Amino acid sequence: MWVGLVALLSAVVVTVAVAGYRRRTDGRFRRVAPTSPAGRSDLLRLSESDLGRPLGRDATVVQFSSEFCAPCRAAERIITDAVAGHDGVRYVDLDSAHRMDLVRRLNILRTPTVVITDRTGRVVTRTVGVPTKQSLHQSVQAALSAGVSR
Amino acid sequence: MTTPTHTAELGSQRAAGWIDPRGQRFAAGITTVVLAVALVLQNPWVLLFQALVFAVSVAAGPANGPYGLVFRTLIRPRLSPPLDLEDPRPPRFAQLVGLIFSVAGVIGFAGGIWLLGLIATGCAVVAALLNALIGYCLGCEAYLLGRRLLSSRR
Repeated sequence: MWVGLVALLSAVVVTVAVAGYRRRTDGRFRRVAPTSPAGRSDLLRLSESDLGRPLGRDATVVQFSSEFCAPCRAAERIITDAVAGHDGVRYVDLDSAHRMDLVRRLNILRTPTVVITDRTGRVVTRTVGVPTKQSLHQSVQAALSAGVSR
Repeated sequence: MTTPTHTAELGSQRAAGWIDPRGQRFAAGITTVVLAVALVLQNPWVLLFQALVFAVSVAAGPANGPYGLVFRTLIRPRLSPPLDLEDPRPPRFAQLVGLIFSVAGVIGFAGGIWLLGLIATGCAVVAALLNALIGYCLGCEAYLLGRRLLSSRR
């Protein structure tokens, strides 16, 4: 029985660690390095043909969703609200299952993953989980200024 | 929260068969307790019971599974109406993942493959507890990873 108790205790410790980590990091955008580890900066640039529709004039918010994903809808609601005031910012919601090429290229492991590109399509920031309003707002602003400085 | 548009949205969600997310959290809580007992006692029968519950929930939909029925008849009448409903497909898929893990655990404990039983049941406890505590659906995340694995083999 003590083996089972140790196993249960380990499971609880793992759960608390995972929950704590995600609470801290989920929904907060982080800057994406201008080049991927392999040095292929073109991998981190999304084009009109990648998205199946034009990029936003100033920035594009791209959400990767999937069929079995409850938080994707919450993310959709928050992003739709946040981009409503910017007509230069376009919001694109993609079904990951149909875009496995992009999922692999951007190394997306879970949904929702949200990336924000500047006006050239370069991925500037990304996050997993439902974006927090504040972090989303800051990241859109960052993408707008990243586009201006280029 | 109860604006007219919100009420209309709730109505259309209900019409589409969406379910009360609190029922899922409740079911995840009971699931966690049952799985924890199975893990501590390393008992295949307790685990088999939970596997059957998973199987019924997959077949009938999570709101109509055994724990879902307990929630609807005993708990929900005492609560205020839900502020939001949830698409039943993600939790249903997660119940399927739970079923696979618990069947693996049953095979482990019943067949004397203790390590398999401990690991499979332990993983199921982590997933159920995460769901009960903060509403995360690990089984749902397995869907995308599974798709990635399958499509990379082609």
